[in-house]
Amino acid sequence: MAQVFDRSSNALARASLVLTGLIVIALGVALNSLQRSPWVTRQGQRPDQPVPFSHKHHVEGLGLQCQYCHTSVEKSSYAGIPPTKTCINCHSQIWTNAQLLEPVRHSWATGESIQWIKVHDLPDYVYFNHEIHVNKGIGCASCHGRVDQMPLMYQQNTLQMEWCLNCHRNPGVNLRPTSEIYNMSWAGPSKDKPVWCTASPTSGPTAQGVSCVTKDPENNNPEVALMGGKPLGNLRGMNLQLFDGRTSSDMPVIAMPASYVKFTSQIDLGHFLQDKYHIRTANELSSCEVCHR
Amino acid sequence: MSHAGNSEQGIGNSVDARSQDVQVVTEIAATTSTAAVKPKMTLAEVRAKLDGKSGKRYWKSLDELADTPAFQELMQEEFPRQANAGEWVDSVSRRGFLKVMGASFALAGLAGCTKQPDEPIFPYIKQPEDLVLGRPMYFATAHPFPTGAIPVLVKSDAFRPIKLEGNPEHPMSKGKSDAFTQASLLDLYDPDRSQHPRFRGEQSDFGSFQQEFAKAVQDTKTGAGVVFLSETITSPTLAAQWKQISTKYPAAKLVQYEPANGDAGRAASKAAFGDYYDAQYKLQDADVILSLDADFLGGIGFPGFLPVSAAWAERHRFDKDKTMNRLYVVETNPTVTGFKADHRLALKPSEIDAFASALAGGSGSLSDPDAQKFLTVVLEDLKKSGGRAVVIAGPQSSMAAHAAALAMNSSLGAVGKTVVYTETVAAIPSEQTADLKALVADMNAGKVQWLVMLGTNPLYNAPADLEFESAFNKVPNSVHLGSHLDETGFYSTWHINKSHYLESWTDARAYDGTISIVQPMIDPLYGGKSAHDVFQVLLDPSLSGYDVVAANAKTYIGSAKGGGGDFATAWRKALHDGWVEGTAFEPKTLTAKTMPAAPVTPVSGVEISYKTDSSIYDGRYGNNGWLQELPKQVTSISWDNAALMNMDLMGKMGIEENEAVELTLNGRKIIVPVLMSPGHPNDAVTVTLGQGRRAEAGRVAAGVGFNAYALRTTDAPGAQSGLQIARGKGFYDLCVTKVHNIEHRGKFAQQDLEHKKFDTEGTYSLAGHEAQERSIIRYATVAEALANPNYTHEGTASGNTTVNKVGYNPQGEAPEHDDSFYPDAWRYDHPEVVGAAQKVLQNKWGMSIDLNSCVGCNACVVSCYAENNIAVVGREQVKIGRIMQWMRIDTYFEGDLHAPKAHFQPMLCQHCESAGCEQVCPVGATVHTPEGINTMVYNRCVGTRYCSNNCPYKVRRFNFLLYADYDTESLKFQRNPDVSVRSRGVMEKCSYCIQRIEAVKIDADKNNRAIEDGEILTACQQACPTDAIVFGNLNDPKARVTKLKAEERDYQVLADLNYRPRTSYTAGVFNPNAELA
Repeated sequence: MAQVFDRSSNALARASLVLTGLIVIALGVALNSLQRSPWVTRQGQRPDQPVPFSHKHHVEGLGLQCQYCHTSVEKSSYAGIPPTKTCINCHSQIWTNAQLLEPVRHSWATGESIQWIKVHDLPDYVYFNHEIHVNKGIGCASCHGRVDQMPLMYQQNTLQMEWCLNCHRNPGVNLRPTSEIYNMSWAGPSKDKPVWCTASPTSGPTAQGVSCVTKDPENNNPEVALMGGKPLGNLRGMNLQLFDGRTSSDMPVIAMPASYVKFTSQIDLGHFLQDKYHIRTANELSSCEVCHR
Repeated sequence: MSHAGNSEQGIGNSVDARSQDVQVVTEIAATTSTAAVKPKMTLAEVRAKLDGKSGKRYWKSLDELADTPAFQELMQEEFPRQANAGEWVDSVSRRGFLKVMGASFALAGLAGCTKQPDEPIFPYIKQPEDLVLGRPMYFATAHPFPTGAIPVLVKSDAFRPIKLEGNPEHPMSKGKSDAFTQASLLDLYDPDRSQHPRFRGEQSDFGSFQQEFAKAVQDTKTGAGVVFLSETITSPTLAAQWKQISTKYPAAKLVQYEPANGDAGRAASKAAFGDYYDAQYKLQDADVILSLDADFLGGIGFPGFLPVSAAWAERHRFDKDKTMNRLYVVETNPTVTGFKADHRLALKPSEIDAFASALAGGSGSLSDPDAQKFLTVVLEDLKKSGGRAVVIAGPQSSMAAHAAALAMNSSLGAVGKTVVYTETVAAIPSEQTADLKALVADMNAGKVQWLVMLGTNPLYNAPADLEFESAFNKVPNSVHLGSHLDETGFYSTWHINKSHYLESWTDARAYDGTISIVQPMIDPLYGGKSAHDVFQVLLDPSLSGYDVVAANAKTYIGSAKGGGGDFATAWRKALHDGWVEGTAFEPKTLTAKTMPAAPVTPVSGVEISYKTDSSIYDGRYGNNGWLQELPKQVTSISWDNAALMNMDLMGKMGIEENEAVELTLNGRKIIVPVLMSPGHPNDAVTVTLGQGRRAEAGRVAAGVGFNAYALRTTDAPGAQSGLQIARGKGFYDLCVTKVHNIEHRGKFAQQDLEHKKFDTEGTYSLAGHEAQERSIIRYATVAEALANPNYTHEGTASGNTTVNKVGYNPQGEAPEHDDSFYPDAWRYDHPEVVGAAQKVLQNKWGMSIDLNSCVGCNACVVSCYAENNIAVVGREQVKIGRIMQWMRIDTYFEGDLHAPKAHFQPMLCQHCESAGCEQVCPVGATVHTPEGINTMVYNRCVGTRYCSNNCPYKVRRFNFLLYADYDTESLKFQRNPDVSVRSRGVMEKCSYCIQRIEAVKIDADKNNRAIEDGEILTACQQACPTDAIVFGNLNDPKARVTKLKAEERDYQVLADLNYRPRTSYTAGVFNPNAELA
């Protein structure tokens, strides 16, 4: 009887084994990238909203502050979606007949909610809290991106757990002075644009502990002049190492002129703020109960 | 069955369909369970076991004591009854199972590949001014209860009440609460609530009722033939409204009736003082306390439970410089009060009467030598105390007990010190049973045209001899105001859906007389009406509940009481504070008439004693899943009720546990399963009221247990003799949770046992003599504790506490810190964190539970239900050990079956430092936090259940099925938004209320401050009426918990395992009288 399989079958069998392996690997890679793809995470997607509200127009164009609408961002886990009343405050006066605003007027007239679609939608088992983030120096733009440049709202980041942990394991990279929380264009200090910060010697709510300026406080900076007292010249360019590990209580409490430290990189500023804002350790911040209950 | 027969007789044919249901639910089906039929050991054998070589022995249930092969077999399982039960209790065939699984795999696959659906946001149109979404608000109100309202703070999330807490500023309750109050929240969201008025079974509206009722009453001119049958009225406004009505219609009548009405106390008060007065007990000043069948530590069924139990617990804390109080209890049914007592005497009801009259008589002679000795010693102890003593009688005590209490308290000089007499909490006190009897006579005589029932359910709970149903059928117009379309509502001409107290305006008196304004937290979910609205139909229908309450409040608020200021301000203050200042009762100076105490001789024969249920009271909480599932105090029955009797009576009759027997009393019969009750007196049977509801009662209440009202009569509402018991009615597998949490372990650790003959196989550990040998429960007498303050760790000579007898660890329970098998990775005193002066103190959470103060009242368990979105699983699932409660109260009996001691131990996740669960989880779903909490990450859990197997405390709960209700809309409103609702296949357990910890942490971090001691209260701690649970930061040397843990009496359960639990217990101290020892 002749051989059932031709000699070439050996090669075929080997090839198919390799192929199977490749397919399994490819499947893994595909699923992995699917899991992180915008299709699953909705990163960058712009759902159909009842009103094509433009953050770009309202924030960049008109200069509305974030908290005009998102009122509870500093005091609650939930930043707040504005009630129809907030829209009507202005739109009872301007663009009163715009077709685009029909859903708003309808809501106002009938008392039915405008039914928005959630853009930043975390799973229900994640307990995110806005309040603590904005009070500890995480700016809106760090998570939401340049909202002032979004004609239609979309999700800038993946909002996946690995993205959260990137920051929770090293919060310094995103910390900024609390005075700059709502500053959409804050870019952090650099060689060209340094930042000068000082910490008040007394303890108190985080937001009041540190003040920063973007102009050299020595050169008759009006911001600093208001605080009274000329900064000590010899502090300029001082080695930051001295401040590391020291707490504000170590500083003399006597009335002394605010001493400014110059920062030229986000890493240094991050370390400074981590200390001043009493940011919990990475170990604590990345513990499960921080987000899961 | 008898009830079905009754209802058909009276109601006629129109309700055939319902009657069918009725038949089904009251029937106790004989089970084919073979385990139950197997003969257990006889009494003599049990005694032999107990009296054996060992002096001490703890046990949890009769099965365990009997130690039958069947029980041994059961205990071989890690989780008794769970493993063999299969996934579903009702059998699903293999083919059916595969089909179901196939479908769910397909769905699971699909779900895994699909994105989350778009979620809508519905913003407000105009947001309420004070509302910050995501932050709860707290409002003060009160939970009205016949024995006095319980003041509460309602946690409101976006105006949905989601949790009730005691009002910490209230002078009476001081922030404590109880199981009923905690659970009353669920009643608001009960999906079975009646949703609209009905007229002759058709949907109707309140307007039509108003018209018809007002017109009909007007036509009578005088109100003749109009009778209101109300619950006990504790609302001053409702009483004022009634006064107006009786002025307008002088012939109209008001009858108040509750099944547990405290008539005996009122009758005794009337006999002694000529009028009705309430007794307020001040246990903070009492050194010696005698309770005559008064369960004052059991719950708010006893008036003033909160202050009374708190004062008792405070005086029962051991401090070598203070005199500890001593409690004697004489009772029939073993209650938590009896087991917390230093001495307990079990007597059947007629013997209690004899005891009471002998007590009042000053000596007396009792036939029973034990009782006589008890009496002599108690009398002497009471007299020795020099007025710092009190005799307590409760709402369920007999007339003789009340008379004895009144007489004793005045002869002891206790009046004005440990007991004061005040006006009654009931605004219109009356002797309710007599009034109801008169009403039924009127109804039978055709004198009643309109019977308006305000929140009552007489067709279910009226005494059987009144035959209320036939009288009811002679009333042409019946009106029922009720939260449910219950037994009475279903058959009434008119049914008006009643609003819940969280939905309506009213006012109510607390036990001390303080008036609270009850304000609505939410618009009535179903447009319900209150009793005020019904009364107002006859007055001025245009006035709302708010109008009448506010108008009447002028009589007791502000300037009217001489408080000064304007009414509006005082009203706002009363609403804000939750009570009205200056409304507490003033003690009356009264002299009791000396009544000759007629000697009573006990009756021979078997007696029946009726008690309210420790979980559902008189049946009013029957449709409340949290309370139905709650294991009852002492007996741990969940979802059932049983005839409780002692081993002697069972032995005499040849009855087995779980056997259904027929109880016959005066020709009326019910069929009841039997449960052995340790410490129950001989020749007595205790039945609890409130179960055996018919189909109308709702999905939870219907068909649960048996209805003891069917035996109860007007002449003997408390107890009666002449009970006959007949066997041969089959078996009924009672749902008792006791054996669920017994841990399995191997022979290995068995070798050290002193009494291993009881447990030759080494199959179980947490219960049995090991509970004693491994020192799960530790206690001492005051003398022992004074002699050796470190008895908790060194043992006592009497053997009440033995330490380091048995264990895994060669050093016993005190392994060196470095002896841990695992590296000491978790330290909580990192110098760079704690050391720097400006840094926030690192948190290290821990809990301390005082076993001396814990009275086993269950308030903590219900509070935990509400706070943590715990699912109710139902009777069948509970029976196989799948109850989801995160904490349980373990009851350990000790010693003689007839007069056992019992110890209550709240058991919840111990948050071990080197936790067994964490090390075996393959997916990291249960992990340690840097603050030392053992936390669950639900979304990681894949349901291997390894963690639960490796937990020696058996505190982990697994969602075998989808227990959380994802469909019922009304229940969704109740859920705590800060806690995940767990789905099927997920393990869960106590989290130390991590959501509360995180909320406070965020607030503290935001303000750059340390968390203060007492700022975080866990839900159980907050509810605890006796302050037995303390939670806090162990790194804070000033924290209460740190101080408690530093005490010598602090110990860890199963410390020898070196799991290093964060929860520890404070060993108990009893204060026995040497003469009774």
